[in-house]
Amino acid sequence: MKFYKRSILILTLLFLILSSLLSFSFAGASNYPLTIIDDTGTAVTIPQEPQRIISTAPSNTEILFDLGLQEKIVGITNYCNFPEETKNIEKIGEISPLNFEKIISLNPDLILAYAGFQLKEIPRLRELGLNTIVLEPLTLEDTFKSVEMIANVCGISDKGSLLVDNLTQRINIIKPKVSKIPISARPKIFVGGTFETIFTPGAGTLFNELITLAGGQNIAAGLSFWKKISPEFVAQAEPDIIIVPVGAMNQGEESKIKSNISQRSGWSNIPAIKNQKIFIVNEDLFYRAVPRLIDGLELLYGIFYE
Amino acid sequence: MNKPLTEIAGYTNWRKKLILMLLVGSLSILGVSLICLNFGVVSINPKDIISLLLNGTQDKTKNLIIWQLRAPRIALGVITGAALSTVGGAFQGILRNPLADPYILGVSAGAALGACIGIALQHVTGYLFASYLPLFAFIGAMLSLYLVYKSSKISYSANSTGLLLAGVAITFLFSALITILLAISRKELQSMVFWLMGDLSAANWKKISIITLPAIIGCLLLFFSSLDLNALSLGEEEALHLGINTGKLRIRIFLIGSIIIASVVSFTGLIGFVGLVIPHIARLLVGPDHRIMLPASAFLGGIFLILCDVLARTVIAPTEIPIGAITAIVGAPLFIYLLRRKNK
Amino acid sequence: MADNNNILTLKGVHFSYNDNQEILSDINFHLPKGELLGIIGPNGSGKTTLLKVISGILKPKKGEISLLNQNLNKLPIEQIAKFISLVPQDTWVTFNFKAKEVVFMGRLPYISRIKGETIEDYQISREAMKKTHSLSLSENNIQEISGGERQRVFMAKALAQTPQLLLLDEFTSHLDLNYKYEMLNLLKKALKEEGLTIISVFHDLNLASIASHRLLLLNEGKIEKIGAPQEVLTKEIIQKAYGVKPILINHPDLKVPQVIM
Repeated sequence: MKFYKRSILILTLLFLILSSLLSFSFAGASNYPLTIIDDTGTAVTIPQEPQRIISTAPSNTEILFDLGLQEKIVGITNYCNFPEETKNIEKIGEISPLNFEKIISLNPDLILAYAGFQLKEIPRLRELGLNTIVLEPLTLEDTFKSVEMIANVCGISDKGSLLVDNLTQRINIIKPKVSKIPISARPKIFVGGTFETIFTPGAGTLFNELITLAGGQNIAAGLSFWKKISPEFVAQAEPDIIIVPVGAMNQGEESKIKSNISQRSGWSNIPAIKNQKIFIVNEDLFYRAVPRLIDGLELLYGIFYE
Repeated sequence: MNKPLTEIAGYTNWRKKLILMLLVGSLSILGVSLICLNFGVVSINPKDIISLLLNGTQDKTKNLIIWQLRAPRIALGVITGAALSTVGGAFQGILRNPLADPYILGVSAGAALGACIGIALQHVTGYLFASYLPLFAFIGAMLSLYLVYKSSKISYSANSTGLLLAGVAITFLFSALITILLAISRKELQSMVFWLMGDLSAANWKKISIITLPAIIGCLLLFFSSLDLNALSLGEEEALHLGINTGKLRIRIFLIGSIIIASVVSFTGLIGFVGLVIPHIARLLVGPDHRIMLPASAFLGGIFLILCDVLARTVIAPTEIPIGAITAIVGAPLFIYLLRRKNK
Repeated sequence: MADNNNILTLKGVHFSYNDNQEILSDINFHLPKGELLGIIGPNGSGKTTLLKVISGILKPKKGEISLLNQNLNKLPIEQIAKFISLVPQDTWVTFNFKAKEVVFMGRLPYISRIKGETIEDYQISREAMKKTHSLSLSENNIQEISGGERQRVFMAKALAQTPQLLLLDEFTSHLDLNYKYEMLNLLKKALKEEGLTIISVFHDLNLASIASHRLLLLNEGKIEKIGAPQEVLTKEIIQKAYGVKPILINHPDLKVPQVIM
């Protein structure tokens, strides 16, 4: 009898140990198949961990690099220019229209796409049986969600959460400082001025969000999205600081840009021009829904208050 | 027997009619301009403007807005409206086609292509090219002018069909090139499209000083061809029988008109409908005699455009509606109304 | 070779639009001052083309045209316009000018573009409208009057041009019977009183016969016969040109041949 009870105990222990061992080994595999709802509201099922990823938007490409997933990228667009290593990755061409032949020839198992003007390409991608996740980050929060979704889909949700936490911490350094500054002391900001025709970001754009977070008052905050405005509007708003976003190729043009803006008709009474507070910034830090936005945020805070 | 002041030997004394119209026209433009100065992002009421005009003001910003931004904008509007209407009327005359507009002979497509290339280059090579955009547009315009001139000499040199066909063909060609450029341009697309729709908001006194002289001299030269244009409307052969060298007349008007358009359009983009509709309104008001009708078109065009510009910048301020859209929205119903009146 | 009584001389004139088909072949004739020459011929014979060659807007491929002893094609068209004017068969006016403004345009060859017109120009225009009985149409819009009214207005314009040689292209085609004869009388008067010389293309043989001093029968671009109506309107010639055998009678008053169907 004693021997019988003992063997049952040992067997049960063995069974427990084995099953827990087994469940651990299946744990990695049991993440997949994974179903998520992307930003178009479509349910997308990823059967297994993606190994060949195509990114059809520069923001998605950057996030992949930030998450350390660059080895899995097999194709990116001509406009995916950050970081440097993107030079060596195969290009699939335009953002819209997409070169479907090229995409298929690379045999991807995941496509990270964008909404916006790429939205009309998505149905075709899905028709072709390609796993397509569409991201449409419009705010900082959306951007963090995108990071988490991509991390999740690629089986590294921890890394995603870590990255988002880091970024949030950096925001939390600036937030309390800003909240102590009364609204009246916050500088009025105008974004634009590179070209004669003035396009400026209003409410609903990432730029506007960053300006507000950094403690500035965007003179175009009452407009929605990107709008064309007249020079008169800017003159009347009398901004304290002018932020000029330029592309990589305009580096080196700084003094010319500043002098052109300073000499613009009707703007000589603007505080930003009188006090020569015109700042050229890298536009990629503000236009793309990527972690680098926080770099932009810190840059703005530095410009506004230091 | 008291003959009315404007009649002489049973004929309209066109000189008196012209002087009368010049007076009325000038006063109207001045009056309308002053009214338009009131409108914009900032509301400035007439009292302020008058005190501004008389003794400047302490509010430096308001001063700047009125003198450096609004006033040149209105001036540009007057010159552009006048130029487009005069050339539109003259082209309708040489092509014997009431549907002609100043863009039909190709110069505008060239300017558009030049400007779009300029915009694309701005983004590609850097900011340096920004202030040279009008130069790009002008060069493009001269290129298309040259092409149209050469093409029209090849065939149909005897009448206006050749010129018209050449203009239309070159316009199609350049439009196709512009379409390609728009398709491959990501960042610049919006700027290009806005340029194509026309814009007075970038006006300043420097630009005004560049285009005023060519526009005025050009329009005066067109006015001097009025009698010949009158005769041409009787028919190609009829005009020849009256001793008018129709071939030379056509080329002359085409060249002068195209240079006027190129100068203006290089700075304002393509503002449509003005050059098409205003000459018809002028004809309705003062008759088809080009000696009076062309100057009348100039005045009416100037007034029309600055009024449209007021709408463009106030309706959904501070966002601006492209002025080409306003002129079409106002111009199209006006045109249809005129056609219906004519056919009654 | 100066022939002072001839206002117009055509020597060996050939014309074609392109190198394929010749429209006019070997045209030779003189036109003495004060004569009314009627050009007749079947459709497609080149009558209107001949008129345009004479007016100078078409240039002959071969041959010479002298106008008052000068080579027509070497004269600038502003000069020609002071000697020759033409009334077209019909024309479309692009813009709605008043009839009197259209007539006034006949004065353009004489008006300096810098100085402008004189009162005399206005008076000549009025006179011309009176002569063609179109004065009542002065204020009417040219696009809104009838074909016949328009023809009288354009006749007035051609007269306002004070030509020495007046060319007419089937000018009676839209006119009522009474106007047909009024215009003819007007022309005959102008011949006598103002020393005008006239070439008129006629579609109507009988009218041509009555109106003209001489007739020029054009057939397939060649001159079939030129001479007095009696010489030209014969059974054989008409049959050759028109392909029908006519019945000819003599006009009871004017003694010129008339064709009866």
